[in-house]
Amino acid sequence: MRQDSLRQREQRTGWWLVAPALLFLILIYAYPIARSIGLSLFSQNLGTELQPVFTGLSNYSRMAVDGRFWQSLGNTTLFTVLSVLLELLLGLGIALVLNRSFRGRGVVRTIALLPWALPTALIATTWTWIFNDQFGVWNDLLLRLGLIQTGVNWLGDPNWALWTVIAADVWKTTPFIAILLLAGLQSIPADLYEAHAIDGATAWQSFWQITLPLLLPQILIASLFRFAQAFGIFDLIQVMTGGGPGGATETVSIYIYATIMRYLDFGYGAALVVVTFVILSLAVALAAWGLTRLRAAHNLGDSR
Amino acid sequence: MAPIAIADTGFCIMGLDRPRHGFLNWIKPQGLSWFNQRLRFIGLMLCCLGIVVSARLVWSQQPIHLTMLTSALDAAQGKSLVAAFEAENPGIKIDVIEGPNASNLIEDLYTSAFLLGGSPYDLVMMDVVWLPKFAAAGWLLDLTDRIPAADLADFMAADLAGGRYNGRLYRLPVRSDVQLLYYRQDWLQQVGIQPPETFADLVAAAQLLQSAGIARWGYVWQGRQFEGLAAVFVDILAGHGGFWVNPDNLEVGLDRSEAIQALQFLRNTIGVGISPPGVTNYQHEDARRLFQGGEVAFMHNWPYAYPLSNAADSPVQGKFNIRLMVHEPGLASAACLGGWGIGIAKTTAHPEAALKAAQFYASPAGQKRSILDNGYLPTRRSLYADPEVLARYPYFANLMPVVENAVLRPPIAQYAQASDILQRYLSAAITDRMTPEAALQAAATETRALLGRSTNPLSAAEPIDPVQEVS
Amino acid sequence: MTQLSPRQSSRSPSSRSNRRAQVVWMQRLGFGLAIGAIVGFSLAPILWQVLTSVKTTADIAAIPNVYLPRQFTAEHYLEIFRRQPFFNYMLNSFLVASLSTLLCLAIGTPAAYALARLRLPGESALLAGVLIVTLFPYILLFLGLLELVRMFGLANHYLALIVPYTAINLPLTILVMRSFFQQLPRDLEDSAKVDGYNTLQMLWQILLPLTLPALVTTGILAFIAAWNEFIFALTFITRESMKTIPVAVAQLSGTAVFEIPYGALAAATVVGTLPLVVLVLLFQRRIVQGLTAGAVKG
Repeated sequence: MRQDSLRQREQRTGWWLVAPALLFLILIYAYPIARSIGLSLFSQNLGTELQPVFTGLSNYSRMAVDGRFWQSLGNTTLFTVLSVLLELLLGLGIALVLNRSFRGRGVVRTIALLPWALPTALIATTWTWIFNDQFGVWNDLLLRLGLIQTGVNWLGDPNWALWTVIAADVWKTTPFIAILLLAGLQSIPADLYEAHAIDGATAWQSFWQITLPLLLPQILIASLFRFAQAFGIFDLIQVMTGGGPGGATETVSIYIYATIMRYLDFGYGAALVVVTFVILSLAVALAAWGLTRLRAAHNLGDSR
Repeated sequence: MAPIAIADTGFCIMGLDRPRHGFLNWIKPQGLSWFNQRLRFIGLMLCCLGIVVSARLVWSQQPIHLTMLTSALDAAQGKSLVAAFEAENPGIKIDVIEGPNASNLIEDLYTSAFLLGGSPYDLVMMDVVWLPKFAAAGWLLDLTDRIPAADLADFMAADLAGGRYNGRLYRLPVRSDVQLLYYRQDWLQQVGIQPPETFADLVAAAQLLQSAGIARWGYVWQGRQFEGLAAVFVDILAGHGGFWVNPDNLEVGLDRSEAIQALQFLRNTIGVGISPPGVTNYQHEDARRLFQGGEVAFMHNWPYAYPLSNAADSPVQGKFNIRLMVHEPGLASAACLGGWGIGIAKTTAHPEAALKAAQFYASPAGQKRSILDNGYLPTRRSLYADPEVLARYPYFANLMPVVENAVLRPPIAQYAQASDILQRYLSAAITDRMTPEAALQAAATETRALLGRSTNPLSAAEPIDPVQEVS
Repeated sequence: MTQLSPRQSSRSPSSRSNRRAQVVWMQRLGFGLAIGAIVGFSLAPILWQVLTSVKTTADIAAIPNVYLPRQFTAEHYLEIFRRQPFFNYMLNSFLVASLSTLLCLAIGTPAAYALARLRLPGESALLAGVLIVTLFPYILLFLGLLELVRMFGLANHYLALIVPYTAINLPLTILVMRSFFQQLPRDLEDSAKVDGYNTLQMLWQILLPLTLPALVTTGILAFIAAWNEFIFALTFITRESMKTIPVAVAQLSGTAVFEIPYGALAAATVVGTLPLVVLVLLFQRRIVQGLTAGAVKG
């Protein structure tokens, strides 16, 4: 009896400790999503003088014929897949280098971390300047190397703009992946490699047979984080191109923002939010499922 | 204030070491903890707000400050106007906030300020196409009963119409603008032809000048996917007798044959070689530079290019003239109306002072100062006859009838969205990614969905061409 | 590809064979190049911006580019403080970021403790929720938050930023602090209970001093995230004097009359990133710890 009340009191205290955080999370995360789901069934826009009018699923059927939505979804997918892939490759390379001990490793690690910490909006102005068609240093370097004959309008040419934005994003977020992978590398015991080397394996073979399989959970986690962030990319593109030229870099976030803040089309904007949320949730659920299966297989292998 | 309140709350939560008298125990017996906590939070915020607001009121006792956002360029050009107003009205100051030069960014800044509430702006300097949106959203003060009808008589009808929404007046026009066709008079005389009247004339004249080796390019316009492309299309659509959106019944005319012909004309200019292939990426300055450089026979542009191209150091000085855009035989042409006007925010604390400022900007004296300084078109008939203005800009005499008959882009609340849809598909068609028919069909479908015409069962009762219903 | 295994890297080139020495030498060269590439990749854009900020306007617009400035100028730095309330922007960013960080720690730490130790029913569901929530892009929240800001009349108020920033940093704070609490020995708490402390007293008087290092770690991460946040700051603040650094700088471009003020923009970027560069230099190790704890422990 006494024991029980003690336990109860502890739990009550526990709930009080959790309550403020829960309140914040509900207010800032759960409420907006729930609200968007509700609002997506209404037309609330300039045509209705900003009054909500129930229109059922018409916002969703409108999305089906909205060419701009599909274009932005395509851009977002391309941006996400390409930037995460490039970041994984580069991040893995950096992690492998930083995993070795050498003089000044701390300094190099600090430098490599730097891009991640800087404000994306400010970095976006930096890259805009670097890729400027007239005075940009990137054009100047390529011209000096003889790789191009005339300056390229990196951000103004629809064929190049998305690539340019991806380059800036890769620079900004590769450190994040490198850090996570570095932590993963450091948790791989060195004797695994030694035993492998005694068996006559080359470094290349041990990379494929030890490093990569053991690093897979970290790779998956890092990709999951980056996937979610890249899918919602806003600040970098908003500052560098605003979604232009001609929608060539318009991602779903940029479109949602314009729908709400420029067109004041709240009902349709809410429907866009809901669809993005569902797509993202499905992708995350898929990745989480993959991760659990991987861990299960891993544990099975360990207990052998 | 806010920081202290927040730190306080934080402290309460951290300082739970005295269970009997702690923050949480205070709420617990009530059984309404969540609600109470929220009330307390709101209370705290209201206190903060109250203090902030009262502090502001005390501050603003002395001269009235009116805040307005304009592009950096307008802010620089309008300095003398602000000074003149402040000299006339010692109790009022106008604080001009410099925004970006791209006008859609200014629109966005105003929009977020008003949407959010607590807008810092009292005066609103508006492009003609923003007005329906700002008025429909309820952000602007209705000026209909505040300005005597007699005061409006001097304004050009089109400019005034651009300030109305649902029959109410929300904006006083301070600067007009119409799209024009610039042409090289010297070259036309050289080959002995008259300025073109119809689209066929224009193409023939351009080809003649190009094949004679006189002009490098025949006709330049604005083909980049931006508002300028929609405006060019409006002119050409009017010349074909078509319409975009009928503001009265929200009918969409983009997939009618007139619109398709209009788009075919634009695409053809590239196909037959009178327009450079790069025109699909041109904005106004790209076109002007080519024309001013003496390489082009015809240019579609706003009047701002006139004084620049006619400057002493311009290679085409005195060699060109302007007229309305051409039209199909038997039809009349009309020019797309632009221009700026001033409105008053509904939330302003000083409507009287703001009205004074708006009227000053739109007054003959105010406009004249800005016209003489910067060469903008007036919105008042009297100024088109003003000797001082005419002495400086003789071509204004030709422009008055053009402005008088200019056409508005559809004055619908969702104009920005409709325009973005159209721009996207126009761009797709002129860059050969879609046929004009398919592009305009898609544009029409999306515009109807936007305006709720295909989804609203009530409007389905209206007769609609069955072809249009294909999605 | 350079050598991959840590074992081989730590071994000095002691082999007598000439060929082997050559291979090692090649490996060292490749490795040096790789390090150089990493440093160049990470630093070059930042350095270019710093260089641009101290060049004269003529050098900035020179074609072909002028790499090393012929003449240094502080003009652009003076200009941003003269033309814009730049000091205000810095202050706003600092205020909003530090207050939201403090609030986040104050709310997140007790919650993390409860989740680590107090065996709440539904704990795992709560944790899963917290984890999932870290994956939400802000654009999904922004419409609902916009309504909240309008409802509470928080437009142009620091609270409109402090509250969301607190919330967006809570998941990370909870995850990192929870893993920290789990590593603490339980004996401490048990003996505190024997001494008659209740849970709150123990948390406040005994555990808090111990958690300081972890608090600093999460605090830095939260501060960086809050300083860098863009979309809420862009939307919820429209009064010029209350803007934060990222928004103010992003809107600086295109506000000059005849040209984009590249020099001023570069100077503004340098000033706006400086506090973060200092943070990274001072706390690099902690940032790495916090990031890995937050991501991997989940």
